[in-house]
Amino acid sequence: MPRPVEKLVSLTINGNEVQAPAGMMLADAALKYGDVEIPVFCYDAKIGPPVGACRMCLVEIEGIPKMQAGCSVAVTDGMVVHTDTPTVKAAQEAVLEFILINHPLDCPVCDKGGECPLQDNAFGWGGGLSRFVEPKRHFEKPLALSPLIAIDRERCILCYRCVRFSQEVSEDDQLVLEERGADTFVTTFDGHPYVAPFSGNITEFCPVGALTSRPYRFRARPWDIEQAGSVCTLCPAQCNVSFSVRDERVLRVLSREHDGVDDGWLCDKGRFAYQAIHVDARITEPMMRDGGELRPVTWDLAIETAAKLLSHAGANTGALVGGETTNEEGVLLAHLMREALGSNDLDSRPGGALEIELLRALSAPTLQASVPDLQYAHAVLVLDCEPVDDAPILDLRLRKGVRHHGVKLLIGSSRPSALDERAAHSARFAPGCGEAFAAALSAELAGQPSASLAAAAGADADDVGALAAQLREAGDEVVILWGERLTAGPRGNEGARALLNLAEQLGLDGRDGGGLLEIPSGTNSRGLREVGVLPNASIGLADAPTAGRDSQQIGEALADGDLSAVILLHSDPLLDQPSSALWQRALGKASAVIAHAAFLTPAVLEHANVVFPAESYAEKEGTVVHPDSRVQRLRRSISRQGETRAEWALLAELAARLGSDPKALTCSMVSARMFEQVPFYAGLSLDLLGGVGIRWSEREAAASFPSAPAAPFTLDAPPAAASPNGLLRLGSFRSIWASPEVEASPALAFLHPRQRVEISPADAARLGINHGENVTVASNGDFVEGLAHIRTSAPDGTVFLQTAIPGDSAALLEGPLVEVKRS
Amino acid sequence: MAWDPDKDVIEVIRGPQKAGGAGGLYRAFGETLRGLKTTFGQLRMGVDTIQYPEEKIPVYPRFRGRHQLHRFEDTGLEKCVGCSLCAAACPSDCIRVVAAENTPENRVSAGERYAAVYEINLSRCIFCGYCEIACPFDAITMGHEYELSDANRSDLIFTKEMLLAEPLERTPLRAEGE
Repeated sequence: MPRPVEKLVSLTINGNEVQAPAGMMLADAALKYGDVEIPVFCYDAKIGPPVGACRMCLVEIEGIPKMQAGCSVAVTDGMVVHTDTPTVKAAQEAVLEFILINHPLDCPVCDKGGECPLQDNAFGWGGGLSRFVEPKRHFEKPLALSPLIAIDRERCILCYRCVRFSQEVSEDDQLVLEERGADTFVTTFDGHPYVAPFSGNITEFCPVGALTSRPYRFRARPWDIEQAGSVCTLCPAQCNVSFSVRDERVLRVLSREHDGVDDGWLCDKGRFAYQAIHVDARITEPMMRDGGELRPVTWDLAIETAAKLLSHAGANTGALVGGETTNEEGVLLAHLMREALGSNDLDSRPGGALEIELLRALSAPTLQASVPDLQYAHAVLVLDCEPVDDAPILDLRLRKGVRHHGVKLLIGSSRPSALDERAAHSARFAPGCGEAFAAALSAELAGQPSASLAAAAGADADDVGALAAQLREAGDEVVILWGERLTAGPRGNEGARALLNLAEQLGLDGRDGGGLLEIPSGTNSRGLREVGVLPNASIGLADAPTAGRDSQQIGEALADGDLSAVILLHSDPLLDQPSSALWQRALGKASAVIAHAAFLTPAVLEHANVVFPAESYAEKEGTVVHPDSRVQRLRRSISRQGETRAEWALLAELAARLGSDPKALTCSMVSARMFEQVPFYAGLSLDLLGGVGIRWSEREAAASFPSAPAAPFTLDAPPAAASPNGLLRLGSFRSIWASPEVEASPALAFLHPRQRVEISPADAARLGINHGENVTVASNGDFVEGLAHIRTSAPDGTVFLQTAIPGDSAALLEGPLVEVKRS
Repeated sequence: MAWDPDKDVIEVIRGPQKAGGAGGLYRAFGETLRGLKTTFGQLRMGVDTIQYPEEKIPVYPRFRGRHQLHRFEDTGLEKCVGCSLCAAACPSDCIRVVAAENTPENRVSAGERYAAVYEINLSRCIFCGYCEIACPFDAITMGHEYELSDANRSDLIFTKEMLLAEPLERTPLRAEGE
């Protein structure tokens, strides 16, 4: 549904006339527009409709004989509200006295002490004395609700916040309340651990110390820490976070609510993977390969060696740039490559380049949907991506849209999605056939024959028809949330054209509240493209003077000996690139591999000659660009650990030693220069970005975005999906937990995935495979082992494997068909 | 025309022009003798010097000297649970507490948590006693020891073990009514 139109009503709160939007809850309206605080425990607007469980918010409303819960009464015109009468005061004191009947007074040992809404409310609105002298109820405590969350049931005031979060926000339906009355307690079914991608939010959301974070348990009190706001760069969702810092260590991560980005929630990776900043496994000093093994060396030696290796290779150097790179680092790397080394072989997209024209068309500001659009659109088409794995926080946004705003959710993906059960319609297609599927969908929308295209996509023609019908009927505001996978690989250009045709069919260009929203493969992929970390584009998506090799070609050129050195800036091709075999050969052949890495991932461990320590995201400064074009600022929250140095300075130093000094004295100098050079960033500055960032596509300077060819394009017939023929089609996905940070975090390590082979029950029965068995997936002599995971929603004829896990990654296999057997 | 000094001009008034004589003597020594009268008047009061450090002044029971941490006498567990309220109350920010969790194998305090690190930087402490007031478990009190000088600033950071230990030498306490 489109955004609700705000209609103001006027009401009187404590004798003051207040204007507030109709339908807003009284507790919110009083605080926001009337500057009157009504105390609450159970209510928070971001969790959805109120339940009125705690009764803390009682107020008097004239004309209603009994007191009303301020959290569950919507403001109406002419309402007269009193929040400070003796009756209200008495009610608040009584409610607090009741709430404190069973609440233990162990604030000194409670982690919430000092930042506890119950303490605040008891202090602000309580009577100060309790008449209850009876013994309090007792539960066994502390218990582990999950490896990440500790639960203390004695402290619970039964506000239902966590249960409602689990049931209505993350919709994992795991938390429940058991028993009745004072014996009620929060638990999971049968006491299973509460493991879900968003479970950590309840520790921040609990108004008392009943649910606390185990990694943060007893680490610090609120007055010991400082909050440092920055942006999480562990996935493209780029949630705004606030680091709790004590003694230059990050002790926890809290959400920094931003409606345009994260809506105040965080995924567990974002909340707990900060631990990887302070582990021994992290690289915090430069290293060099000596006698086959990486050994720590001094900075001088490492820089000198790297400069020597690079100047030796000269133009025969390639560079792969990972998604955690900031724009500033990207600019300096491009300078190092293009100016100092004279090489155009740098790429930030895995698996091959996209035509620059198409890239411009896809990033065009008029076609750009924003994150809040997902919540208010008429329909959202999730195309070839899995939000919970690729950009987790968008999963919550989509669920919110469906639940509270009637968004029609449509899914077209090859792997069954976690959102399927919330979707109006889901269609499956064969892995890698997103292009054919998009083409089929736009043909169907245009009223052209689509059956052959649907067949080529390995999709059901009726499914495509139903999806198109839903899209046609939904309304104007349609958002297509698409994964970079659609435009990756050898047929990426055709995928992009098909997608642009689909957008054209839906008339998304220039439409408010609708458009395209990409989930790229890397955190800052969008920013890196815009500052010219591409083989075929220079800064500002302008044409590159000479086109260089893309990531795939860099790999091939290294393997053939055409390139001799490669820089891996926060990128491990063995994890990030689609073909491990190619990169094993390429890195084995390369005479110099210079890596900037935080962890000894496979490519770094086995092939790097010089390793520079990478800053963690809490140590970095610079800017990143959100997939919806929001330029956000990273701020340094802690001092750099160990010997780590600023990477922008290192890149500038390398360029200077190689004869082209970028004259970058500070990082903000590079930012300022970048804002000048990118035409559509014109007028931005770090100060303007502030803590919330700015969407450049909404500014006037967006008019200077380079023009792009307009759809529709004529498409050549996409290749048909491979017919399984007794074998299985290979699909791959990257789990939210498949990252070196998760592996290195002590608290999260239990979630770091092992390879699992997702297979449908019919295929499993045919191959005689049982759930949980060890199976081998083989193609062309390569094989991967994993545990069989029989998934009822998996499409027949397809097997899904994970990429980006060390050892048994799906990238080892060459598709499209593989053989699965018991091992 | 008579000279009229402007208000900007400083007028210097000098003393009597004639020096010497009885008046001169009095002017020279009179005031000094008046002061010495008080000095010599004290002679009859006797000697009141305390021979510190051999001899020490007894302190009042509420004297705020160096802090002490306490244990439960029966169980030997530390009273401090590492709640850090003392650190919050401290106006000179000289207390540092890092808490940890008690385990059945390693039980240090009575509650769920204990202070793994408890440090007071006595070179910053102003001995106001707020920590003692803030402590919900009477785990920290201001002791009577006041001999805290040291040759090295870092030696004035007292650790938990030092604060838990009984002082080597007890400061004499002023008796009732003394």
